[in-house]
Amino acid sequence: MASTEGILRAGVRAAPRRGLPPWLLIAPTLLLLAVFFLVPYVNMVRMSLLVKPAVGAYEPEFTLANYARALLDPFHWRVMYRTFWLAGLTTALTLLIAYPVAYHLSYAPRRRRRWLLMLLISPLLVSLVVRGFAWMILLGRVGLVNLAVQRLTGHELVLIGTPTAIVIGLVHVYVPFMALAIAGALQNIPPDLIQAARSLGASPWAAFRRVVWPLSLPGVQAGTLLVFVLAVSSYVIPILLGASNVLVMPMLIVQTLLDAFNWPLGSALSMVFFGLTAAVVALYLRLLARGMPWTRA
Amino acid sequence: MSSITLRGLTKRFGAVAAVRELDLEIQEGELVTLLGPSGCGKTTTLRLIAGLEVPDAGEVLFSGRPVTALPPERRNVGIVFQNYALFPHMTVWQNVAFGLEMRRESPRLIRDRVAAILDRVQLHGLEHRYPRQLSGGQQQRVALARALVMNPAVLLLDEPLANLDARLREDMRFYIRQLQREVGITTVYVTHDQAEAMVLADRIALMRDGRLQQIGPPEEIYRRPTNAWVAEFVGLSNFIPGRVAGRENGLLVVRTAAGTFTCAGEAEAGRDVLICVRPEALRFDETHPNQLRGTVRERVYLGNLVDYRVEAPGGLQLRVQADPSRAVAPGRAVNLSFDPSAAWAVHAREA
Repeated sequence: MASTEGILRAGVRAAPRRGLPPWLLIAPTLLLLAVFFLVPYVNMVRMSLLVKPAVGAYEPEFTLANYARALLDPFHWRVMYRTFWLAGLTTALTLLIAYPVAYHLSYAPRRRRRWLLMLLISPLLVSLVVRGFAWMILLGRVGLVNLAVQRLTGHELVLIGTPTAIVIGLVHVYVPFMALAIAGALQNIPPDLIQAARSLGASPWAAFRRVVWPLSLPGVQAGTLLVFVLAVSSYVIPILLGASNVLVMPMLIVQTLLDAFNWPLGSALSMVFFGLTAAVVALYLRLLARGMPWTRA
Repeated sequence: MSSITLRGLTKRFGAVAAVRELDLEIQEGELVTLLGPSGCGKTTTLRLIAGLEVPDAGEVLFSGRPVTALPPERRNVGIVFQNYALFPHMTVWQNVAFGLEMRRESPRLIRDRVAAILDRVQLHGLEHRYPRQLSGGQQQRVALARALVMNPAVLLLDEPLANLDARLREDMRFYIRQLQREVGITTVYVTHDQAEAMVLADRIALMRDGRLQQIGPPEEIYRRPTNAWVAEFVGLSNFIPGRVAGRENGLLVVRTAAGTFTCAGEAEAGRDVLICVRPEALRFDETHPNQLRGTVRERVYLGNLVDYRVEAPGGLQLRVQADPSRAVAPGRAVNLSFDPSAAWAVHAREA
């Protein structure tokens, strides 16, 4: 290791210094990020601290009133709570559905694996809006699901416009992401480990619980994180399947910005929402890391 | 502890037969190495004994009791995999305790047994390390401890030293041999390294293309190979082609292009044979009754000995390994001789 490093370093040192400095390679990316990410963001932070006049967007006068309003209105907290709850539920259900899919995918013969993989990601080829409409048709008052339920129970089931419909839609959209993240981790587990566990007297279930599951946790972490962050900030599916009945944070922020034309308050809500999401993610990562002590050793 | 019997064991992977009608008897407490080139079926044989593969035909018996239908966890075998297959998310202690926990032993017994076995493999003090914090040799010993702590009836090792550097590999050979003797456990050891097989084995089982070529103590394999392939695979060998003329004093008389020689072996008169003569059995003198003349073509100094290529009558290329104290210069004509009992005839064409 040390000697390899030595050789590499020597090689670098021996290389003639000419041409462009290496950081120039990432300059376009940095520039893009600065213009389209950093500048708007900084602008938004600034806006969240400005005064909203009765008429017009904002006045160049600093205040913390927007944050006070964003944080003190119990209505905002109800929406916040609903948003996190729906995202959390979506993440949990997605994990439950995607793990067996990923497991099957990882241990399928190579040919079949390719087909399954194509099947799994094929929904991503269809626009999110189209998939949202498809679920509206399926879950609607005269949709397939409702007709079947009516035939069986005699009761009408209201789905569109409820959190249930949103969760169904979100889970459907995010299962491929979760499954791919977990399959990646599962495929990294050498089959020898499972055989070793079996030869030491572990039943198939015990081998899964004690060896496969813990070693797949990095994939579970990546998948749940990805899905949670996507779900918490989802906008299209909640609008379509919640029929504007179920308010979540991204909708509330857009409404505040565009409908109420209150840019300072919308910006403040964005910041609070962002801060809370980051805090939830950080807490989750810390808890999960406690379950994977070997990754820190 | 138990003996192992393999009867007519056959395993196919698609169209390829990895193991073909293998019969093998391994005694209690014996260490048998399965030796052969890659793809000869030695690892598959080990996996069949372990229960990690299911045979297409044939039987596996432990102490006369058929275990063919049993899954690995019910065979009471300890397995050491080539890459150790240590659980990366468990400490040394957790790795070794895993099997006992699966067996639902009491915490007290687990504590005592794990501590005892870790002492035995000299890993005391490393209990709380994770596998990747250990050296290759230490990982190897964790794998051994994890298998041995279960008091298995049979210990199965699949090229356990293949991933270690040369120096450590040599140390570990003796270490494993000693440990196996102390524990007295029936052991099957798969390797493609003949030196390893020689050091370790009570008996070596040589495999090729899924078939057993020869089984016997290392010395017998080396001195009395059953065919030319075995002679070539284990150590270096010269082959002098000839035809059996008859028998004399219990030795074969073989006529060859380089002269008539006597040697040990079993073959009827008129049969085409190859006389196997190990390079160290050929000597630059006339002390032995089998004598021939040749010309030294090449000389390579190897430290503890000198390796010569000698051209003999009939286009024969011989390798001679001799003491470096009396060097023979290339280009010189020399007399060579070899002891009839150090030479061994095998059939020229394989049956």
